[in-house]
Amino acid sequence: MSYTEKSIDEIRASLDKGEVTSEELFEEAREKALKYQSDYNAFVTILDKKEEEKNKKTILSGIPYALKDNISTKGILTTASSNILKDYVPVYDATVYRKLKEAGAVLVGKNVLDELAMGGIGTTGHTGVVRNPWDKNRLIGGSSAGSAAAVALGIVPFAIGSDTGDSVRKPASFGGIVGFKPTYGRISRYGLFAFASSLDHIAILTRNVKDAAYVTNIVKGQDEYDMTSLPDDGKEYAKVLDNSVKGKKLFYIKEVCNLENYKNNNDLELIETLQKFHQTLDKVRELGIEVDEVSIDRKLLSALYPAYMTISCAEATSNNANLIGIHFGLRGEGKTVDEMMFDARTKGFSELIKRRFVLGSFILQKENQERLFLNAGRIRRMIVDKINELFKTYDGFIMPTSGGIAPKFDEEIDRLSERYLILEYHLVIGNFGGFPSITIPNGFVNEMPIGINITGRVMEDDIVLSIAHQIESKLGFKNQIAKGAK
Amino acid sequence: MITKEMLKDYANKLMFDMKEEEYETLQKEFDVILRQMDLIGEFEGIKDVEPMTFPYVIYHAKFREDVVKDEISTEEALMNAKDVKDNQVRVPKVVE
Repeated sequence: MSYTEKSIDEIRASLDKGEVTSEELFEEAREKALKYQSDYNAFVTILDKKEEEKNKKTILSGIPYALKDNISTKGILTTASSNILKDYVPVYDATVYRKLKEAGAVLVGKNVLDELAMGGIGTTGHTGVVRNPWDKNRLIGGSSAGSAAAVALGIVPFAIGSDTGDSVRKPASFGGIVGFKPTYGRISRYGLFAFASSLDHIAILTRNVKDAAYVTNIVKGQDEYDMTSLPDDGKEYAKVLDNSVKGKKLFYIKEVCNLENYKNNNDLELIETLQKFHQTLDKVRELGIEVDEVSIDRKLLSALYPAYMTISCAEATSNNANLIGIHFGLRGEGKTVDEMMFDARTKGFSELIKRRFVLGSFILQKENQERLFLNAGRIRRMIVDKINELFKTYDGFIMPTSGGIAPKFDEEIDRLSERYLILEYHLVIGNFGGFPSITIPNGFVNEMPIGINITGRVMEDDIVLSIAHQIESKLGFKNQIAKGAK
Repeated sequence: MITKEMLKDYANKLMFDMKEEEYETLQKEFDVILRQMDLIGEFEGIKDVEPMTFPYVIYHAKFREDVVKDEISTEEALMNAKDVKDNQVRVPKVVE
């Protein structure tokens, strides 16, 4: 096994014993990134040279990692996987990158994402489609597609992504790895290219829960450049993972998870995914965790996806108004400044992104603001209030991350089906309420990975991590490397 | 009913255009989108709910002092602009 396929603890031990140097680790990660690039397209940029290490005393010093290409890195190309930013080189560092640099972590490259992080499939980046390392004919999910592929392939032990609806937790599930989105504000968003500011989170991809705890420990904390960032809670997450979870209470949503709902459904992957979910619940109960079935209004659940699309597209429309190609980005042609901006945006955005912007524009038309935009905000409050009410009794909820395995690239999806509207989009609850939320692997269906998700109360990142860590220990799917890694 | 002309107007308001066939695809997509959007308004008493704009109430909002701290040089500020003259970004004449 190569070093970059190991856990952070194992790599740390080898570094400390002098069995390997950070230079050798960087070279190993870099060579792998280059080797897998033509098959999986995980990277926009692979660095030629290791950055200078600033600190040699943290758990992450000398450890290689990758950053999603919508996180600002001074002097290193940062494209957000969009043509409009294909030559953009930032002049400042994102806080998350600065903290990792200061901790001595070693950046290997910048990962492909869905253009401007606005997509969930990993196929819309300007440098091409990201493929699933378990099966090249399938997508890995997005928007943190390249980040998930890089971790699943064992190129790096961790990667930093962003999660606005499920953009870290869904690709983690499709890639057989761990995706952790901490409480909103736990990690500063300064330097993350905004998609939908009220939903955006920096989030972490690893191959086991303890590694996610280590990385979160390093990058969390209040930041004077992000007024929404939270004061450090002072907890060392990796040290509390084994705290007792006996007596904790979780629920799952009946309308999503109960097999009775799918009696007439002939989607065998969906049925097997849910059966495995329920088998896992038995193991969760063996830990002394109580798990109950709870009912939530189906109509409210069906409104999650449209409410998410409404809020995110409207916020994105506003956030991306700065992409005009004058002071940075793709330069347009024209006789006036307006014509130049119009040309830059017409040429710089792909069709899929334009569709989302048009939707945002439609939602923000005066005649639609009350019916769509404000009602979506009301739906958001209704579901968050409902979950917070349940959190008076329960410490969190546990759900299948998706209704199945990663789809094939050409798979047709019925976007009005309950599977699409509820099973594939319940993770947005975590963004609506800012709840800490983690995906861990839950085995395989048709030789493709599936995941489960645990979401807890705001500020209780430590509890969510310790529940996930102990379930992970029961399941035996940690530290998985995808089949595509040779 | 959403027409192609309406979609073009929404796109142009955001300062971009699409190809004719792209508007046609989008128009078909809007059939599904509008049906999804209908799911938002179907709740009794929804008007009494205060729209939520942030995940939770933030008690610790951090404001920094309004003093100059980190600065970037003129060269850095202009390094991503494609057309620069005399330390300024050059654009077409506004007044002829």
